[in-house]
Amino acid sequence: MQTIIQQILNAAQLGAVYALIALGYSMVYGIIRLINFAHGDIFMLGAFIGFLLATAAGMPLWVMMPLAMILTALVGVAIERIAYRKLRNAQRMSLVITALGVGIFLENIVRLVIGPETRQLPAQLPNQIIGWLSEHFGIAMSQDKAWIIGISLALMFILWFIVNKTLVGTAMRAVADNKDVVPLMGINLNLIIAATFAIGSALAAAGGIFYGQAYSIDPYMGINLGWKAFIAAVIGGIGSIEGAVLGSFMLAAIEVFSVAYLSSNLKNGIVFGILIILLLIRPNGFLGQPEIKKV
Amino acid sequence: MPKQTVQTLDEPKTAKPFLRWSIISVIYLVMIFLLQLVEKAPWMNGYYLHILTIVGLNIILVASLNLVNGFLGEFALGHAGFMCIGAYTAAVIASKLTLPVFIPGMVAPYIQLIVALAGGFLMAGLIGYLVGLLTFKTVGDYLAIITLGFNMIIVNAIQNLDFLGGPRGYIGIPKNTNLFIVSICVVLTFAVLRRIIFSNYGRTWISIRENPIAAEMMGVNINRAKNVAFTIAAAFAGLAGGLLAQYQQYINPSMFDYSKITDILVMLYLGGMGSLSGSILGATSYTILMEILRMVLSAIDPRLAEWRMIISPLVLVIIMRTSQAGLMGNREWRWMRSGKEENR
Repeated sequence: MQTIIQQILNAAQLGAVYALIALGYSMVYGIIRLINFAHGDIFMLGAFIGFLLATAAGMPLWVMMPLAMILTALVGVAIERIAYRKLRNAQRMSLVITALGVGIFLENIVRLVIGPETRQLPAQLPNQIIGWLSEHFGIAMSQDKAWIIGISLALMFILWFIVNKTLVGTAMRAVADNKDVVPLMGINLNLIIAATFAIGSALAAAGGIFYGQAYSIDPYMGINLGWKAFIAAVIGGIGSIEGAVLGSFMLAAIEVFSVAYLSSNLKNGIVFGILIILLLIRPNGFLGQPEIKKV
Repeated sequence: MPKQTVQTLDEPKTAKPFLRWSIISVIYLVMIFLLQLVEKAPWMNGYYLHILTIVGLNIILVASLNLVNGFLGEFALGHAGFMCIGAYTAAVIASKLTLPVFIPGMVAPYIQLIVALAGGFLMAGLIGYLVGLLTFKTVGDYLAIITLGFNMIIVNAIQNLDFLGGPRGYIGIPKNTNLFIVSICVVLTFAVLRRIIFSNYGRTWISIRENPIAAEMMGVNINRAKNVAFTIAAAFAGLAGGLLAQYQQYINPSMFDYSKITDILVMLYLGGMGSLSGSILGATSYTILMEILRMVLSAIDPRLAEWRMIISPLVLVIIMRTSQAGLMGNREWRWMRSGKEENR
């Protein structure tokens, strides 16, 4: 029983990181119908910016994390401005291919500038075991795990608040609903799309830093984790914020439990297999809206 | 059923287009054959032959993916997985096959090669058919994800199969392939692809690309047509994989990973979707560009050679920003077309 609870906690931590990435995928998809294949690499970039700030500049986490989020957000906006904006009304596949190209570019530039080695972010969160949990329930939960899950949930709540309760969020939902009418209402479309990319990238950076705290980082992690987060977004129903969070925790649970009880080598195969089965049964995910096609 | 006699637009009125195509193919083969003959000459650099071989393999891969991504208008990402299946099948056949003793030693490698290639071709085609069956319902982005998922499953499965060498790879494959054999396969691939794509059946693919619902109303069996395209494309990817395995004598699963997929895509879009000529142009120019970059950069400083990895994605982004149609768009060279009418 205790091992199962332990695994659930591991899954919650991993799921929180997935959710932070998946939200960016989902938001960008909702707004400009683009699968932003570069998003996983933005996540990786965020982790490495955090790594540089923490090691070279020696910043504490509470300074490093907001700064890394802001810098990554700027990179995300720049990518949208330079690579995607011109293609917004072009064939959708051109956008997808451009995104693939941007992703590989980011990956290689980090690899060449910083190096291909696997690194560890300096542990800046307290990692003692929470006392009363182990005393009363016999569960060993370290404080950093609690912090990671807690801050992630707080960030998700802030995002939910922005999207549903503020003017910018209303504009975002309007763009997602009908991109062509929104400019007629006097809303700056470019600004809203830039804001979406900024928020998505900042969340990915937060995910990257947490991932670096809990596990280790390398320039190629963006591909693998980016894909997993993307699968999570699809499972939940891409374009839906609640769906992305739900899908992420589900995927993390599947992954953690398949590693614990089946085989760690088959992890990726199982995850992709579930994705395929799910897409065949429910092509729009759990919380997604079915798309209506017209001739 | 009454026999239908329909005058088709594509039917070549004269033998000319085929003649033009044949002449160019024969010239290509003869030139390659001569190059192969002087392989051992002191002034000849084996490195150039190697690049030409890789170009040939890439042309097969890109042209076959073009069938699905360009002519059928889907966005499939799993091509490297089919290549992987073909490569492993051919590798196992080539290294395990024992021929009866009465076959003279001169011919034996060729028989081994043909059996191995056929095995890779059929196996990849079979898996492609099954994947096609499963993915009928999905289109667009979801098809991209599912095919990529299959690619990852294939790679992951092979990494876990011990008799295939697992993540260490498969070694000790006999070297049965050289530049000339790859070139013959290129010509064969184009003979088949060109024949199908510019036939009436090929038009059903193009109609699905333009408007699937309208095509269905005109009586096109969409599922079937898609599956045929999938199977053919996968089979030729398997052929390229089989050739690669017997050329390099060593394969490992991570060769067929994300980076391979992107390489194929870059070449495809550089050349132009929906153009067989574009596939040739894209694969050739990209492969040679990468080699030139490698040489130039390492001549300046050996450490710089790695920087070409940055240049290839930049090239992709720049192509997309400037002309999304690629080098050829969906035009064809005159000799590649079949029939008088322009095929679009």
